Amino acid sequence: MSGYEWQFHIILDYWPIFVRGAWTTLKLTFASTLLGLVIGLPAGILRQSKIRWLRAPVSLYVEVIRATPALVQIVWIYYCFPILFGLQMGAETTIVIALGIHTGAYVAEIVRAGINAVDAGQFMAAKSIGMSGAKTLRRIILPQAGQKMIPPFINEFANIMKLSTLASTIAVYELLQESNNLIATVYRPLEVYTFLAVVFFCITYPWIWLSQRYEARLRRRA
Amino acid sequence: MLTITHLSKAYGDLTVLKDISLEISANEVVAIIGPSGSGKSTLLKCLNFLEPYDGGEVRFEGELVGYEDSPRGRRPARERQTNRQRARMGMVFQNFNLFPHMSVLENLLEGPVQVLGEPRAEVTERALGLLTKVGLLEKRDARPSTLSGGQQQRAAIARALAMRPKLMLFDEPTSALDPELVGEVLATIGQLAAEGMPMVIVTHEMSFARDVADRVIFMEGGEVVEEGPPSVIFSHPSNPRTQQFLSRVLHERFHP
Ligand SMILES: Nc1ncnc2c1ncn2[C@@H]1O[C@H](COP(=O)(O)OP(=O)(O)O)[C@@H](O)[C@H]1O
Ligand SMILES: [Mg+2]
Repeated sequence: MSGYEWQFHIILDYWPIFVRGAWTTLKLTFASTLLGLVIGLPAGILRQSKIRWLRAPVSLYVEVIRATPALVQIVWIYYCFPILFGLQMGAETTIVIALGIHTGAYVAEIVRAGINAVDAGQFMAAKSIGMSGAKTLRRIILPQAGQKMIPPFINEFANIMKLSTLASTIAVYELLQESNNLIATVYRPLEVYTFLAVVFFCITYPWIWLSQRYEARLRRRA
Repeated sequence: MLTITHLSKAYGDLTVLKDISLEISANEVVAIIGPSGSGKSTLLKCLNFLEPYDGGEVRFEGELVGYEDSPRGRRPARERQTNRQRARMGMVFQNFNLFPHMSVLENLLEGPVQVLGEPRAEVTERALGLLTKVGLLEKRDARPSTLSGGQQQRAAIARALAMRPKLMLFDEPTSALDPELVGEVLATIGQLAAEGMPMVIVTHEMSFARDVADRVIFMEGGEVVEEGPPSVIFSHPSNPRTQQFLSRVLHERFHP
C-alpha cells in the first residue's frame, strides 16, 4: 500500500453538495429518458414498417446515433444548434435534448427487439381473423412485447444516469461537476472521486437490480 | 365456394407450389395429406392470403383473394379488402396461437368486436355458446397458458368460429398435441364437419381423414399428386407415390 491517509471526514461536511448534484443528475436522467421514450417508441415501430420511406430515415437516425459517441453528440448539439438553427439553449436543456435523442435510438432498438421477440404465430393469428396491421400492433403485439421491453428500458435508464456525467463538459452542475468544484476547494481528489463513485453506485445499482429481478420474473413465468 | 386455379408460389429460387388447381364446394370437407415440406401449409396460407401467391389465382365465393384487377393489370388489393376476405375464413394453427395476454373468452371476442365491430354483449352470448360447445365454458376466464394443449386447440377452434366463417382451414391441428389429447380435438372438428361446415384440413391423422373427409388430396413436392374420395385414396391409390407415402405412414403408425 502507498500509505495514503484517507480523510473522508473532510468531505462529509460537504454532503449537501452531493445531494444537490445527485438531484440534478436524477432530473437530467428522468427528463432525458422521457424524451428518449417519446422519440424511441414511434421510431422503433416505424423501423419495422413495410413502407421504405418511413423506415429509411428512422434507420439512418438509429445507426448514426449508435455509431457516434454520446459526448460528440452533446458537444455537436451544444455548439452547432445555436449556429445552424439560431437556437440558444441553456446547458441543461442541451443535455436533455442530446441525451434524449441519444436514448431514443437505443429505445428504438429495444422496441424493435421486443416486437421481434413476439411469436410469429401471433401475427398470423391476428391476420387470420382479418385484423389490420395497426390494430394488431396495438392490441396483440405491443401488449406482449411491452413486458419484455421493461427490463432493458430500466437498464437504459441506468445507462443514462451514468452518461449524464458528460454534462459536466458543458458546465452543468450534476454530480461530477459538483465534485470537481469541491476538489478545487478541499484539495482531496481521492476522497471526493471515491465518494462520487459510491454515490453513483447507490443511485444506479437499484435500477440494475430492479431490471434483473423483473427479467428473472418474466423468465420464470415463461 | 373456393376455386384454386393454376396456383404457384416460390420462396426465392425454391418453388413450393406448382400449378395447383382445386375446387372446394359448399359443405365439403377436404383433407390434405403428404410428407412434410410438400407445401401443404403454404397452400393453406395462400387461401386466406397469409402468404401472397405468385401465379394463378384463388377465388373465394367468386371473389379474387388478395389481388384486384384493374385496367392496368392485377395488383395487390388494399389491406382492408384482404382483411375482409380473411375474416370470412377461419384458420386453426398447429401451435394454437391463442392470444396469451387475454382470457379464453376475450380471445373469442377479439375478432368479432375489434374487426367486425359487432356489439360486445351480442358476441359474448354467442362466444359462451361456442365455449359450451367445445366444452370449455368453465375455462372462459382462464389464461390460455393454464390450459392443456387439447383445451387450447379447442379454444382456438372456438375463436375462429366466433367470426362466423364460411370456411374453416386447419393446419395440422393435432400435430403439437400429446397423443392422449388428439381425440378430443378431432372429435370437435368431426362434429363441426357433421354440421356441414366446409373445411380444408391438413392432417397426418389418416384414420380421421378417412372418416371425416369427402375428398382427400395427396400432395408431394408442391404438386397435387392424386385426389379422390377417401375410400379410393386409402384403399387403392393409383399413383405409386401415393402408395409409397401411405405404406410408409401406416407402417410408422403401427410399428413406431
Ligand atoms: N417463409 C419461408 N421461407 C422460405 N421457405 C419456406 C418458407 N416457408 C416454407 N418454406 C419452404 O417451403 C416448403 C414447403 O413448406 P410447407 O408449406 O411448410 O410444407 P408442409 O406444410 O407440407 O410441411 C419447404 O421446403 C419449406 O422449407
Ligand atoms: Mg406444415
